[in-house]
Amino acid sequence: MNKPFNTEDLQGNILRGYTRSLVRHLILEVTDRVAARAFLSASVSGESKDVPTITRETPWVGPGPVACFNIGLTYEGLRALKLSSASLATFPTEFIQGMTKRAPKIGDFGDSAPENWPAPFDRPERVHMVASIYANVMYDLDFVEDQVAKAFNIIGKRDGRGLADGRVFFDYTDSISQPRFAEAHDPKQKYVNEPIDPLGTLLLGYPTSLENLIFRVPSPDALGMNGSFNAFRVLSQNAKGFEDYLSEAADFLLGHKDVDHLLPPGDEAKIGKGLDRRGALREIVAAQFLGRWRNGVPYAASPDTPNPDPEVSLTNFEYDTESRCPVGSHTRRANPRGGKIVQRIANYSRRLVRRGMSYGPDFDPAKPDIDERGLLGNFIGANLGAQFEAVMCDWINLGLQDPDITGSNDPVLGANTKETSWFDLSLNNGRTIRLRGFPRFINTRGGAYTFLPSVPAIEYLSKITG
Amino acid sequence: MTDKLGWLDRFVNSLPNRWWFKLLSKYVVVPFWVWRDPKPKLEGGPRNSPQPSENVQRMMNLIMPLKDKSPLGRAMAALAIAQNVDEIFAGLDNVGTVHTARFLILHDNICMISVYDGDFSNYIRDFIGTVGSVFDGIMELVEGGDALNPTEHHIEEFIDWVHAHDLFQAPDFPTDLFGLQDAAKGLPPNVPAHELMTLPRELILQLHANPNLSLGGGYRAYPGFSAAQVRSKFGVGW
Repeated sequence: MNKPFNTEDLQGNILRGYTRSLVRHLILEVTDRVAARAFLSASVSGESKDVPTITRETPWVGPGPVACFNIGLTYEGLRALKLSSASLATFPTEFIQGMTKRAPKIGDFGDSAPENWPAPFDRPERVHMVASIYANVMYDLDFVEDQVAKAFNIIGKRDGRGLADGRVFFDYTDSISQPRFAEAHDPKQKYVNEPIDPLGTLLLGYPTSLENLIFRVPSPDALGMNGSFNAFRVLSQNAKGFEDYLSEAADFLLGHKDVDHLLPPGDEAKIGKGLDRRGALREIVAAQFLGRWRNGVPYAASPDTPNPDPEVSLTNFEYDTESRCPVGSHTRRANPRGGKIVQRIANYSRRLVRRGMSYGPDFDPAKPDIDERGLLGNFIGANLGAQFEAVMCDWINLGLQDPDITGSNDPVLGANTKETSWFDLSLNNGRTIRLRGFPRFINTRGGAYTFLPSVPAIEYLSKITG
Repeated sequence: MTDKLGWLDRFVNSLPNRWWFKLLSKYVVVPFWVWRDPKPKLEGGPRNSPQPSENVQRMMNLIMPLKDKSPLGRAMAALAIAQNVDEIFAGLDNVGTVHTARFLILHDNICMISVYDGDFSNYIRDFIGTVGSVFDGIMELVEGGDALNPTEHHIEEFIDWVHAHDLFQAPDFPTDLFGLQDAAKGLPPNVPAHELMTLPRELILQLHANPNLSLGGGYRAYPGFSAAQVRSKFGVGW
């Protein structure tokens, strides 16, 4: 079909993800802007052996490049390249302020506060660029890193990898539901029945899902058009704390008078082979917390078992008023689909693209340790305020979208404290059991708001003088 | 130790009520300090809080200066609201997070005073997404409004503009002012700790930068609930 953009003009990691098993995010400072601009120029032309080429949206034939390479710039980075103040002023406020200044809004307080972030994120004024390398072997990551080091000061790096079976450290299958676009062919989304998202959800310069609202394109057009914004997040995941809490909750539930409405006696095997009652209750809590069973099966479509027969679609389901998927579950908070919510115009208007890989050592529930591990996440959209921040501050935390959860935070991702946290498990008789006392399982350990420029925009930046 | 004040303390304490000292303060002392220690204008609206009940029933005090500062200009503003009453009701209902909204004409300003839940930017964005045309009419009449019309196509600038015209809400704990002033200058808050005795001066200097402000974030007679919680409880649909 005809696309409104030239695929050679788009960075390749925006509309789609790569299927590489490793990633390295390099956190860069521009110390020599002439060298930095020359690097950007060569990364577009692809004519230098010493500079990696920006990977484009254009689909490749065969295995593709050994390493994919893409960049995002912070506001401080644009300043370091000496972008004119007239241009800088046309960027949105949240991007200008940067992730650290927006911390209270997105739940980065307490242990997650920017004051507690380790280097290099403790010095946000030096975080100018995040360059991401995607490959299947470590050698290719190192090779590209050496190239980048010749033009930039590498002040930090974070290595990520895909875990087996697309899982994350809480042992859920991840990255099932994503926005989809008419302009991007993604075979994995062929049978998804969620509405097609307008291109302006993701790229600057196109209609958005908010009816007549248009997001401002930073000027000039050569810089702003076809760009996007990214919330790059380093999120530690307390796998041991999570598994410990599931056990604590199961013990509490075993003594609860209504527990048979959560798990009818004799149904333990439906939850998993060989599970005792306590083990089955742990899995039910995990499933209701997330909105999906650990194998990815949506709780809304299969509330009694993670192994329904016949199978159910992982992507095509709805949250109707009868749904047994708790309103407070993570997936339902982050994307309420067509379900009833307070903000009636917001059902599909806060969609964002999530891409991530895990970092840190493997977690073995049989021998739990507390080493730091987690997710390197990219949360991409045309407007950080209307998408990433809007979801984080009103839906993930606070729970404003439904009066039954208002005042509570997302049980998995939310900024919880043991003293105040609560979550209502849904029962098969329409009633609920309230769980309390769970800590914050995911903490922020760094991050930056970046602008993901189009390829012509990278060229524009490379030609700035002064 | 005695509570009895010496003559010098008594004299100093009486200074604010002496006519010659008031004159000296107004024309010399305050202008000197404004020059010596200027305060950035503090941001409008409620501040984010980790406490959920602080994030519902929040106050907006939007003061929009009219272009035409005459009874005729004020009448035009009244008309712009009156012509859009139906849209305002529909908009508030559909945004879903608003408790009340009032429009006032105060001297040469048209003011919107509202109580809403959750994040300020989301509230304004959803409102414009629902009934942007209401504000387009008002923007034609206020200073700086032309550059923001139509609001649907200038949503980021409009949110920033509203934020800038929303009154600063003085903290409920007076000494919190120190930290806010530090943060506005890009300094770490309260490092080093401020002398309590400098608070009156800091407040006066802030009132120079923010001539209008809200004293506190508004006081409630009961803990905060969201509009949807209230509607749900009373069975009037949410």
